Amino acid sequence: MKVAFLVNDLQLSGGVGVVVQHARQLSRIEGWDVTLILVREQDGLSWRGYEHLAHLRVRPREEALCEHYDIAVATWWETTFTLFELSADRYAYFVQSLEDRFYRHDEAEQLGAGLTLDLPVAFITEARWIADTLAGLRPDAPCYLVRNGIDKDVFGPLEQAPINAAQPLRVLVEGAPNAWFKHVHDAIHAAAAMREPHHVTVVCGDHEALGEVVADEIVGPLSHREMADLYERSDVVLKLSSVEGMFGPPLEGFHRGATCVVTPVTGHEEYVEHGWNGLLADWGDLRGTARQLDLLARDRELLHFLRTNALETARAWPSWQQSSQFMAGALLAICREPPPASAAGAARLLADLRAGVDAYNGHLRERMDFARRAMRYERPVARLRRSPTWQRLSVLRRNRLVKFAARPLRPLTRRARELLS
Amino acid sequence: MSDWQERITHETAPAIRAEHELRYRIAAPLVLGGGPWCDLGCGNGVAAAAALGDARPAHAVLVDIETAAIALASAELGMPETVQLDCDLTDPVDLQRIDQALLDFEGNAAVTCFEVVEHLSTFLPLLDWAGRLARERGATFVISVPNDAFWSIRNPHHLTAWSEGAFEELRGLLPSEHTLLRQVALTGSALVAWDGERVQHELEVGAGGEGMVASHFIAAFGPRHGDLWRGAVAVQTDMLEQRRWERQRESNVVLAEQMAREQKAAIEAQEEIIVAQREELREHTATFDEWRTYIHELERELGRPLAGTPEAMQREARAATDLHDSSHSADPVEPPA
Repeated sequence: MKVAFLVNDLQLSGGVGVVVQHARQLSRIEGWDVTLILVREQDGLSWRGYEHLAHLRVRPREEALCEHYDIAVATWWETTFTLFELSADRYAYFVQSLEDRFYRHDEAEQLGAGLTLDLPVAFITEARWIADTLAGLRPDAPCYLVRNGIDKDVFGPLEQAPINAAQPLRVLVEGAPNAWFKHVHDAIHAAAAMREPHHVTVVCGDHEALGEVVADEIVGPLSHREMADLYERSDVVLKLSSVEGMFGPPLEGFHRGATCVVTPVTGHEEYVEHGWNGLLADWGDLRGTARQLDLLARDRELLHFLRTNALETARAWPSWQQSSQFMAGALLAICREPPPASAAGAARLLADLRAGVDAYNGHLRERMDFARRAMRYERPVARLRRSPTWQRLSVLRRNRLVKFAARPLRPLTRRARELLS
Repeated sequence: MSDWQERITHETAPAIRAEHELRYRIAAPLVLGGGPWCDLGCGNGVAAAAALGDARPAHAVLVDIETAAIALASAELGMPETVQLDCDLTDPVDLQRIDQALLDFEGNAAVTCFEVVEHLSTFLPLLDWAGRLARERGATFVISVPNDAFWSIRNPHHLTAWSEGAFEELRGLLPSEHTLLRQVALTGSALVAWDGERVQHELEVGAGGEGMVASHFIAAFGPRHGDLWRGAVAVQTDMLEQRRWERQRESNVVLAEQMAREQKAAIEAQEEIIVAQREELREHTATFDEWRTYIHELERELGRPLAGTPEAMQREARAATDLHDSSHSADPVEPPA
C-alpha cells in the first residue's frame, strides 16, 4: 500500500503533528510505504520537535510527481492544489477543521479554503462535528472518522491527579497569539482578572506576536515532552478559542492531570463534560471566565474532582497506535471502493464559486460606493487646501503665539484633521 | 485473569454472566440459522451454552488463543465434534486458517466475536478479513466492545480503548448495511413464593432513553445483520456471593487500614529514633571537635603537623612503613630517641 500525505511544511504545529503521527504508525504496518510530500519549497528540512521521527520518508513535490501512489491524501486546503498533480489510484482529503473559518470574510483564502471541500475526493476527518458537517455538505462523498490519538509515550496518563490543596491556582494559557480565533489575549486577560491567588503561564512560540501581557511566566516554543511536564505542573488549561478542529491541548492536559476551562468550541463535545472533567465558559465572557477560575482556586475539592475525572477521561482516549488502525482501515476502504463521482462535487464547486463571485461582487460594489462618496468630499477639500486663505492659515499655524492661543481649539482641529485624512 | 472477569466462568458474577448471555442470545437466530457457527474468542463457552439452551448448530468452529479454553468450551456446549482452532486474531495467517475451516461447511456462516477486539494489539487484520468474508462469502458477523470511556477502568488486558467515539470510527469501516445496538445494564427485583420454589416471571423491561449509558456496543454486518434477536435478560442476583465479596472487601480494607496505621506508627517510632540519634551524633561531633581543637593546640605547641592534615597523614604513613621495614630486617635498628 503506497500512501502519500501532502503537507505544506514540517513546522511544529498541531495539524502537521497529527499527519506525522499517522505516517509514523502506518509505516510500521508490514507492506505499507508511506511518504510525506512537501508541497512548498523548503530551504532546509527541519525536524525540530519531531526529532524522534526523523526516519520518516519525506519527498519534495517535484520528486513525488514521478511516482505513482495507491492513494494520495491532502492534509490542508492549500495542499489540494498539488493533490491532483500526483499520480494516484485514489485521492483523499484529511480534513482537520473547516479551514475557511481560519480566515476573515474579507480574506480571499476563506473562499479558497471553502471550495476545496467540493473536490471529488473521499474525506477522512478527525472530529465528529466535521464528519457531520461534511455529511451535510457532501452527501455524495464518503467520509471516514479517524479521531486523533494521543502520544501516550509523551503524554502518558498519570497514576493519580496531582493535589494542589493550598498553592495558588496554576493556569496554563496555550495557543498562537497571532491566530485571531485562538483568543490567547482574551484568555490572558481573563486569568489576570482573577481575584484569588494564581500563577499564569503562557506558552507561545512567537513572543513578538504576543506583545506585552500580564503573566507570571512566558515560555516557548516547547517540545512535546516539555509541554507534558508543563501540563503536569498546571491545574487548569485555559482555552477560549472560537475555532478548533479536534481541540487537542486540553486533552493532553487531561492526561497530565490538569482540568480545563474552555469555550464550547467545536471539538470540545468529544471529551469535555461541564462540571465533570472541566468547566465551559460562555463566549466572550471574560469576567465569567475569571469567576470560574476563582471558583476552582477557592474550591479545591471541586478542582481535584475535575482533575481526577479529567485523568479518567484521558485513560480511555485512544493512543496513536489505535487511531492509526482506523486511519489504515479508512485508507483501505477508500482504495477498495470506487472513487466518488465528480459530477456532484463539480456542481457543488460551481455553486460555491458562484456564491463566492456574488459575494466578491457585493464587496466590489460596496467599495466603489465608498470611493464615490469619498470623491464627493475630496474635490472641495482639495480646492480648500489650494486656496490662499488655507495657505496663510498654514503659515500662521507654525507661529508660537497662535499655537498657544489656539490650544482650546485642539480637540476641534484634531477632529477636523481626522475627517479630512 | 478471573479478577478482571476476562473469562466467564460459573463463578463469574451473575450480572456479568447475564451481559454475556444476552449477547449470545441476540446472535442465536444467526447461530442456529443453518450455516456453520464460528465463535471468535470463545472462552469457556459458558455464556454461549446458557444462551443457546438445548439448541445447537450443526457445525461450530471454536476459536481462542488458549487451547485449554477451547476444549472447555467444547465440553460446556456438549459439542465434541467442533473444529477447535487456537488462533491469534491479529495474524492474517491464522485468520486464513479459520477461513479454511469454514469452507468445509455448507451455508452462510454466522460469526460471533464478543469482547475480543479490545484484547487485540491490532484489529485491522480482523476487520479486513471480516469485511471480506461478509462481502464475498455471505458471512454475518456480530461483534461487541465494552464502553471503556464510561468506566475508565485501567484494565491491563485491554490493549485498545472503546467509547461512543471509537465505535463511531469503527462504524465507518463496516459495510454500509449493518445493525448497531447499545447494551445497557439493568437492575430489578422479583417476588417468589414463601417456600422459595423457583418461578419464571415474564418481564416487561423499559430501557433506553435520556441519560442512558451503554455498557457495551454491538455491531452486526453481513446479509443477515437484521435477524438479531432484541430483548433483555434478567437473572437472580447471587446475594450470598455478593455479600461475601463485599464483606471480604470491607474486612480487607479494615485490615489494610490497621496495617497502614501500624506501619505509620512504626515509621513515627523510627523517626523519633532518628531524631534522637541525630541529636546524639550532634553531641558526639561537638565533643570530637573540642578534642580535635585541644589536640591541635598540643601539636602546635610540640611543633608537629596537625593530625588529620595531609602532612600528618603522610608522616604517619612513612612511620608505619619504617616500622614494617624494621620488623622485617635481620638486624633491628634502635629507633631514634
